[in-house]
Amino acid sequence: MCLSTVYKDSVKPENIAMQNVMRIECDGDMVILTDLLERQVAIHGTLVMANLVEGQAIVHELAE
Amino acid sequence: MTFSEFTLRVCYHHDDETHAHTHTHTHPHTHDGVEHTHEHTHTHTHEGGDHTHTHEGDHGAHDHSHDCAHECGACAGCDPMQETLALMQYMVNHNAAHARELAELAKKLGELGNHTAEEQVLAAVSEFEKGNLRLSAVLASLK
Repeated sequence: MCLSTVYKDSVKPENIAMQNVMRIECDGDMVILTDLLERQVAIHGTLVMANLVEGQAIVHELAE
Repeated sequence: MTFSEFTLRVCYHHDDETHAHTHTHTHPHTHDGVEHTHEHTHTHTHEGGDHTHTHEGDHGAHDHSHDCAHECGACAGCDPMQETLALMQYMVNHNAAHARELAELAKKLGELGNHTAEEQVLAAVSEFEKGNLRLSAVLASLK
């Protein structure tokens, strides 16, 4: 229902990957985040956790 | 990010006493697609007499976020106003959805036999919708 903030590895302000995320898609080893303005960020990694009530999600970024 | 500006300060003194100067200035600059300024204050002391001094604006690197919704390297520039309006529109729509859900909850309370609670929740929904109407009006005026 609400927008989420997606973090890399842990919930810390400096780890914010994207705010106001309305969609999270997992495609193989890519996690694609889409925000309210339809901007997208693709992270090479895996979705670790999504707390839809708190509006937080964590993505673990894989090393290149 | 480093940036430099020269600021010329001409100070005239008629005695030889040691004195201090404090200069406050701003450096307008743009990065991450956002123009903003930072105020810096420098205080220094030196011997008296007329003198001219400059300082290079070597304020070192500064790193801060403009609270962009994404890594700003990914976009040509963020429009804060556009983003704010989009968020407000989302909020207005979202509030309307919550109001409908609360009205459904009120109905369920009524079906469970708690008509007092049903009335109070419906009254709360009405207040909620009034507030949302105000937000909607503000949004319309901003567009």
